[in-house]
Amino acid sequence: MRIARDPRVLGLLGTLLLCLAWEAIGASGLGGFTWPPLSRVVAMLADPDRWDLFGRAAGATLSAALTGYALGAAAGIVLAVLTHLLPPLAPGADRLAAGMNAVPSVALAPVFLVLLPAGGTPATLSGIGVMFLVYVATASGLRAAGAAHQDLFSVLGARPAARLLRLELPAALPSISTGLRLAVPAALIGAVIGEWFGAPRGLGVLIVNGMQNFQIVLLWSAVLLAALLSLAGFLIATAVERAVHARFR
Amino acid sequence: MTAGAAIALADVTRRFPLKGSREGVLALDRVTLDVRPGEFVALLGPSGCGKSTLLRMTAGLDAPSTGTVRVGGEAPAAIAARQGFGVAFQDHALLPWLSVRDNIALPYRVAGRRVDAARVAELIALVKLTGFEEAFPRALSGGMRQRVNIARALVLEPAVLLLDEPFGALDAVTRRHMNLELQRIWTETRTTTLLVTHAVEEALFLADRVVVMTGRPGRVAQDLPVPFPRPRPVEVMREPEFHRLSDGLVAALEPEAAEP
Repeated sequence: MRIARDPRVLGLLGTLLLCLAWEAIGASGLGGFTWPPLSRVVAMLADPDRWDLFGRAAGATLSAALTGYALGAAAGIVLAVLTHLLPPLAPGADRLAAGMNAVPSVALAPVFLVLLPAGGTPATLSGIGVMFLVYVATASGLRAAGAAHQDLFSVLGARPAARLLRLELPAALPSISTGLRLAVPAALIGAVIGEWFGAPRGLGVLIVNGMQNFQIVLLWSAVLLAALLSLAGFLIATAVERAVHARFR
Repeated sequence: MTAGAAIALADVTRRFPLKGSREGVLALDRVTLDVRPGEFVALLGPSGCGKSTLLRMTAGLDAPSTGTVRVGGEAPAAIAARQGFGVAFQDHALLPWLSVRDNIALPYRVAGRRVDAARVAELIALVKLTGFEEAFPRALSGGMRQRVNIARALVLEPAVLLLDEPFGALDAVTRRHMNLELQRIWTETRTTTLLVTHAVEEALFLADRVVVMTGRPGRVAQDLPVPFPRPRPVEVMREPEFHRLSDGLVAALEPEAAEP
């Protein structure tokens, strides 16, 4: 009974059930011929003849997502620190970030496609999504230091720089690490959508090609691969977040 | 204001704004208090009498509505800016991501000064935490955290030490033990000290002078010199004179209860 209540066991069980349902619906033809059984999708991903194709596509997507993630996270943290040091900027920055987040990336993508040099759209869309999440997390984290700690720094005669570096930034790290975890899927979604609208290669390109050429199994394989990449990144970010929370809280 | 006082509070009044009231709440009413250099003064009073507000004003964390606060003849902010204060509050306010050693060294780093490792080690020994240098606050007991707190307050050899119920959250046995330790440490440094407490025995055991405050609004009700010579052994607390003074202070704290 205790094993059954372990969330990890339950999670595995749920995943297994989902895979079985996918397989059953695909094999029985219940979902129509656009719903292939999971085994055929996995078989395509496992086919060594396809590894070159998938490898290059995943590599391109990953590189765009990582570029967007790094630049977006850096921009989000820098913007949050700036608005923290110059409070009059905060309302404007909050609205700008919220506004940018409210515009769907599907609507932004064509604009960036004509604005940016070729191939820059996936990383840019990815960076915008990441920046919003990291900005919000950092801004709230910088306010997380307790009143007693703030009083202590005041009585110790701390200048703003010392207060930021020795109190507010370390106190913000748990919140920042949570933002960085939530930003992982956003980075991948941004990259894939950017690739839909025009990129020489990438998982988004594979998805669009699979759709337009009616290569249903290829389409599903690319989607599954993108989901697995996102999941892997999410798990790594979760481990980092746990370590940061254990140290800084 | 007395010339040469280390801390001089003159005619200090503090009103806090209150919704629906034009004049607000009167927390402190014309309080005057001088602390001489090297003197240990305990501010004793019930909760809500404004004693913590007085301490926060001395530290420059709050400002009086009327009246003046001077530390060494200067504004508290000027003293804070050159790290003239050592503080320990009831909330130990240790940084959870720093080890015991780094927490005690924090005032150096905040001031942008080079950390004097020998001085930090000396304070770790003084508060008897040798062997725990690398431990993080979450791994320490409440009493040990307050030792770190006291060590951090003393590390820069402050001109004025401000203590706000530093042992208030500890159990009675640990608290008494920490009072013995503080008395030993203080006797070695003789730093001008203002201690806020609501514990009569703690005030009598530690201070040169006990200032009793009454609440709503906060006023000074009594200013009692403590006659026991230093260093004071723990046996002082069993002397008849200690009990007599203690009873007197309890009565001063609760004038209503003392009336027949």
